[in-house]
Amino acid sequence: MRFGGLTALDDVSFEVDRGMIFSIIGPNGSGKSTAFNCISGIYQPTAGKIYFEGEGISGLAPHHIARLGIARTFQNIELFSTETTIDNLMLGRHQHMHSGVWSGVAMLGRATSAAREETENRERVQWIIELLDLVQVRDRPVGELPYGTQKRVELARALAMEPKLLLVDEPSAGMNADERAEVAVRMRELRAELDVTILLIEHHVQLAIGLADRVLALNFGKPIAQGAPEEIRQHPEVIKAYLGDG
Amino acid sequence: MIEPIRDHYEDIQLFTARGSWIKLVLLLVVLVSLPLLLPGYRVFTLNYMAVFVIVGLGMNVLVGYTGQVSLGHAGFLAIGAYTMVLLMTRLAVPFPFALVMAGFVSALFGFLLGLPALRLAGPYLAIATLGFGLAVTQIIGHSALFGGHMGLVVPDATVGPFPLSGDVSKYYVIVGITFVLALGVRNLSVTRVGRAFRAIRDSEIAAATMGVDVAYYKTLSFAVSAALTGVAGGLLALMTGFISPGVFTFTLSLMFLAMVVFGGLGSITGAVLGSIVMGYLNLEMDAFQELPVLGPALESFSERFMSTVGLPNFGWVVTGMLIVFTILIEPQGLYGLWIRALDTMKRSKNADAELSRPGSGAD
Amino acid sequence: MLPQVFASGLSAGSIYALMALALVITYKTTEVPNFAQGDMAMVSAFIAYMFLTDFETGFIFAFGAALVFAFLLGVGFEGLLLRRMRKPTHLNLIIMTLGFTLALFGFAGWKWGADQRQFPFPVSANEVIRFGSVSISTLSVATILIAGILMLLVFAFFRFTKLGVAMQATQQDPIAARINGVPARAVVGLTFGISSVIGTVAALLTAPLITLDPTLMWDALLKGFAAAVLGGLNTPVGAVLGGYLLGVIENLFGAYVSVEFKSVVAFLIIVIVLWFRPSGLFGRHHERKV
Repeated sequence: MRFGGLTALDDVSFEVDRGMIFSIIGPNGSGKSTAFNCISGIYQPTAGKIYFEGEGISGLAPHHIARLGIARTFQNIELFSTETTIDNLMLGRHQHMHSGVWSGVAMLGRATSAAREETENRERVQWIIELLDLVQVRDRPVGELPYGTQKRVELARALAMEPKLLLVDEPSAGMNADERAEVAVRMRELRAELDVTILLIEHHVQLAIGLADRVLALNFGKPIAQGAPEEIRQHPEVIKAYLGDG
Repeated sequence: MIEPIRDHYEDIQLFTARGSWIKLVLLLVVLVSLPLLLPGYRVFTLNYMAVFVIVGLGMNVLVGYTGQVSLGHAGFLAIGAYTMVLLMTRLAVPFPFALVMAGFVSALFGFLLGLPALRLAGPYLAIATLGFGLAVTQIIGHSALFGGHMGLVVPDATVGPFPLSGDVSKYYVIVGITFVLALGVRNLSVTRVGRAFRAIRDSEIAAATMGVDVAYYKTLSFAVSAALTGVAGGLLALMTGFISPGVFTFTLSLMFLAMVVFGGLGSITGAVLGSIVMGYLNLEMDAFQELPVLGPALESFSERFMSTVGLPNFGWVVTGMLIVFTILIEPQGLYGLWIRALDTMKRSKNADAELSRPGSGAD
Repeated sequence: MLPQVFASGLSAGSIYALMALALVITYKTTEVPNFAQGDMAMVSAFIAYMFLTDFETGFIFAFGAALVFAFLLGVGFEGLLLRRMRKPTHLNLIIMTLGFTLALFGFAGWKWGADQRQFPFPVSANEVIRFGSVSISTLSVATILIAGILMLLVFAFFRFTKLGVAMQATQQDPIAARINGVPARAVVGLTFGISSVIGTVAALLTAPLITLDPTLMWDALLKGFAAAVLGGLNTPVGAVLGGYLLGVIENLFGAYVSVEFKSVVAFLIIVIVLWFRPSGLFGRHHERKV
């Protein structure tokens, strides 16, 4: 993936199997987020192709890719900050809902299609709210919530989409060791209960390796190692890349 | 403790407390009886304010929800007005249908403006809409079809068998439509489309990755906003009886923007309040000297330092300063002030409750 | 005929170029498109008028006073209003300038009434100079010359003076500039002051052409924006070129196609250019990092 003169991703190739937790690790600037942006359609790869469930998706618009079942979180939180938690989650339900201008305007009473759609989908996301411990903040504007809670809302929002593939971008950013452990537990829970495939970007090597079934290590946009977690942990190139980074 | 099962409909219900029904009935009673209690020219004022409220609803959808700036909404007002009048005079289309067409034609132009607007960021978009508004009035002003600078007279309107003559009958039509539209916009805002609009304002990228077709919704918001403003244009024509390009000025577009900013961007209540205030201000600009107390003070001030003939321009000064101070002090406008007031009341109520609790150590 | 049209195009284009330059200078520094630029200049022109007629001073004094007023107005607007905004989002900044322009417009109408006034100017619009077969009004010549000289001065200022270079540095990299001792806030205020002065010169050159009333600069503001957009809101040179280009195209259109719809050209240009190049002909698009 090239931006003008800068090659952000060079000859990066990997496969994620269904139901796997796959981690991409690498120091800052190694191209991890760029990879996510390519997959979710924010960037169009300048070379190479991306396939999801056998279909090519590179070059599709982000909202198409979302509809195919891919959801993501963002490293710098991209919540709808003036909206409440529940409204953020309800946006995750956007593609599963149908009401348009006319049905929206004509929502007079419980029985109308728009109203039923609203209540049904709110019921559907209730379990996510409970799972991620967001009950207290359900009706509060997310802009005023603490950082850690916001990260949970982002995750909840992605889950509300009922995705097949979940891209999680730096879930442990800004957290201490205890919080990181919670993240690991939560990721495993999600994979188990939801049958969702997780693709994870993680700067923190221990967390990524402990969690993943398979790991890809990047440095300066190039792949330096790919394989089972234990191999990666001991891989000389990986150690060198991180030592340089501190 | 067993959690009560949540009634999710409450989230979007219009009336959550039983008291709200009573408030609604009261409001309806007031609205229905006002024109019977007030002198004729005041009813005209109410009609004017209602038209502004509809535009405010439209501006709120575009600027308040999706965050796209328009400096050319007077253009949509004009399109709606002229469409309706031309249909009625040239094709003898009955008023109700002509009014609906005013909305549709305006929506079409909104859609057409929304398309190129997709590629434009903030300042470029504002400039493009500015150009649009001016272009509309230029084209109208120079075409014989639209009556040129002389304008067009609005023919008499009837709704079915009822002729709309006089401000009072027009009032019921205009305010009735305003009420219905406000309800419609409110419903839209708590459902899927409204949410998508607001998501676009807060984070286009996140919205896209959640399946929102941003381009579609942005143009849709232009269309909806234009439709509302177009209907307002038709109603404006109805109530004034005469339209000309000189009505649909750039400063009017600015006033439209001002009212939703002042009322509180993104809030329907705010838009309604702001529109009522600005609508009144815009209409009364020629009569500042008649205000009690303030009127004579303004007059003498004008005589000494300014010009008396220019006193109506004081309205623009007020409008401008309202915008400036709103942005400076309370970016959420009237609605923000309202929320803050409620908050303070709630907090003082809680404080009282704390104090009166036994064992709180207050004595 | 053609050289004639071209000449009047250059003259009108000079005004547009000045406005475009004023707009781009502040936009580059603050990312604020100053919609109040037109009316700020208009009020300053009225100040000059006031000095000329009420106080009966000479031209130089009156114009000087107007420019000083303009400078202070610009600095004041930035320091007292823009800088003190609670939530300076792009939308709010735009709205702030719009509010200010409305207030200025109202103030001018209030103070001086909506009467149209003749603006006394040392150079007349009715006398002509002949260049071969082409006759251009002395006002047009003066406009082209004065505008051109002013723009060259501005460019020289930014390029060659210590202060100007410092200001450019702040635009490009505020943090580095501050480390090097350039006071960022003063720079921003100064930028608005300079920009206001440039706009006022445009107003003073426009006033003798059409009558002086509060709507004096509306057209020029729109054309200035159109020109700046043509060039790309963050390139001063592009904006100035855009201004001249717009003036010439507009006059060609007016002479050979239709006088009536001359002003629609500006809007059409905006739409066409932005359709193909959303950041203007020479501008660069700013991508946000996610």
